[in-house]
Amino acid sequence: MVGRRTLIIGGAAAAAAVGTGLWFNAREARLRGDALNLLNESHRLTLEALGETLLPGAREAGIAHFVDAQLRNAPEDCLLTLRYFDWPPPYGAFYVGGLTALETLSQTRHQMPFHQLSPAQAGAIVGGLLSGQVEGWQGPPSPLFYLSVRSDAVDVVYGTVEGFEKLGIPYMAHIEPQRPW
Amino acid sequence: MVARRLEADAVIVGAGAAGSMAAAKLAAAGKRIIVLEAGPAWRIEDLTSSQIWARRLKWGGASVLSEGEHRFGHNMATGWGLGGAALHHYANWPRLSPDDFKLRSLHGEGADWPITYDDLRPFYDTVQREVGVSGDATAEVWRPPGEPYPHPAMPTLPQAAAIARGFAQRGWRTSPAPVAILTEPREAREACIYDGWCDAGCPTGALANPLVTYHKQAVSAGARFLANTQATRVLHRGGRRAIGVAFRDRDGEGRVEANVVLLAGSAIQTPRLLLASADADAPDGLANSSGQLGLGFMAHALVAIQGVFDSPLSNFMGVSGGNLVCRDGYGKDPTPGAFGSHEWVIGAALKPNDLIGIAMTRPDLHGAALIDFMERDGPRIGGMGGLCETLPRPENRVSLAPERDAAGVPLARVSHTFGAKTLALVDYVRREGEAIMRDAGAQTAWSSPIVTLHALGGTAMGDDPATSITNSYGQTWDLENLFILGGGLFPTIGAGGPTFTIHALTLRSSEYLLARWASVVR
Repeated sequence: MVGRRTLIIGGAAAAAAVGTGLWFNAREARLRGDALNLLNESHRLTLEALGETLLPGAREAGIAHFVDAQLRNAPEDCLLTLRYFDWPPPYGAFYVGGLTALETLSQTRHQMPFHQLSPAQAGAIVGGLLSGQVEGWQGPPSPLFYLSVRSDAVDVVYGTVEGFEKLGIPYMAHIEPQRPW
Repeated sequence: MVARRLEADAVIVGAGAAGSMAAAKLAAAGKRIIVLEAGPAWRIEDLTSSQIWARRLKWGGASVLSEGEHRFGHNMATGWGLGGAALHHYANWPRLSPDDFKLRSLHGEGADWPITYDDLRPFYDTVQREVGVSGDATAEVWRPPGEPYPHPAMPTLPQAAAIARGFAQRGWRTSPAPVAILTEPREAREACIYDGWCDAGCPTGALANPLVTYHKQAVSAGARFLANTQATRVLHRGGRRAIGVAFRDRDGEGRVEANVVLLAGSAIQTPRLLLASADADAPDGLANSSGQLGLGFMAHALVAIQGVFDSPLSNFMGVSGGNLVCRDGYGKDPTPGAFGSHEWVIGAALKPNDLIGIAMTRPDLHGAALIDFMERDGPRIGGMGGLCETLPRPENRVSLAPERDAAGVPLARVSHTFGAKTLALVDYVRREGEAIMRDAGAQTAWSSPIVTLHALGGTAMGDDPATSITNSYGQTWDLENLFILGGGLFPTIGAGGPTFTIHALTLRSSEYLLARWASVVR
């Protein structure tokens, strides 16, 4: 059996390695302007704006890079909450479909891209997604899309060691994550 | 290329709670055991404390297609890889009550088990001694007869204590939850420190996941576990004798030939494999002369109740499954129109993110309101779950879909809709729970939609080969040397976590098989 002290020491070593930049960090990837793999620039802008509308701070925390990195993984290695919603892979099609539907909705209602909407306009659109009663929505079920991206936003803002700290919640890891995700 | 051919005395499909335990018991008796597991070879070091990383432990195999009004939430509820769902289970280990075994006889609902509580009692006692269960048998006034718990109960933490006041107001009793979590060190396993990472897997061994219990014992006894190896078909002779299992792994196809085959996958993957093993000798699926294979699939119905209290509750402390329980409402007929038992599980540890986290308790909130909720209300939230018994319905079933996975095996389709009596029970429990939460002093109280939990039934045991798949030992009626283990055997499900009962049944089956080995393998 691995003792708790051993695990924490191992975790500290891992945390030090994180500091060397060896492992992927979505916040840093965004700051560096790393290119995305599956999502294009338009998707990135929409996803960041949606994430920011759902939970302020998600853009800066790197929601688009987080989602894109996970979509690169095989389904069994994907760490997105979508996995829990029993949506059949490939998961990339789900995100592209949802982001495209959101963009279309924005253009239809306001004749401008979603990321250029005012907070009030974006909030009004997002507020309707959970009900599933969004006229003109042509993507995966809007409640599922809302819940998935909202959970992604919560993951990057609050689901990490730093996120716990922000809320004053002791992380108390047995094995600290070697990287946030 | 010639397919690989392996030999064993027994081949087990699935390395979760049941498969690991059977492997340990049979290997300890000197049998050559091979266990086929579709998922990865998890190690203790993989149990990272993170709700994000925890998602790796949940089902990652072929898609399961869901349909029905109350679709079964499959991927969250099941696992894969060594340890199976038990690797991330919450370790609430209640026993079924005597009434739970005789629903049809006593209440005219559901079905009877072919055994009574007294038949299973000694196996519960043995398992709790072997695994280490903590609880307070005296305070747990609803507990059926059995040996006292080998380890003291968990302490009552602030969140659960606050909610318990609501139960006390109506004269209801609460007791420490019976858990397969150590409250004191045991051999190389450490005591729980109540940090709430059970869902991500417990690397210290405080929580009894198979990697620290029966999988470990099985490996020590010589059992061979083949991870990343998917069983694709049960091989048989004329639909009357099992002769092994065909598999596929990264190197291609192969087969394990064995005298005994034990299927210990989930209540979805086991019927899938049997249905996919159909041929001219078993046209409706193997072990399905009754036509009942896959029928009567069940899931518990859970409604989560939350309340915001006046002051912080240290709700980050505790275990994922709950700190206290109340079974004062365990009777089968709580209100007209409803049927079934329910159990309150009180004061689970909360993390900020994930489906079971603080943010998801109010999915309607976004933007500044969500931040406000997380920062202001989050520390003051108390929660509990009302776990409801549901009834077997033939229309709730596991069947094969036309689509196939990469190995060419048809995907499983799960049809699931709760009946009217269950929905009435859930409504009753929801009202009861919100009232209790307000009585406890919560400023506001609210509840979740129905959540489905635990994959059970579908390969039910029984007394009659015409209406069941196996006898009370999980031995299929059609093939004497083909056994089914796990939650799929449950004819009815009571209202409580099933893992303790799965262990007790598996121990009973293993002892039966060993005692009759010569006649079974003849």
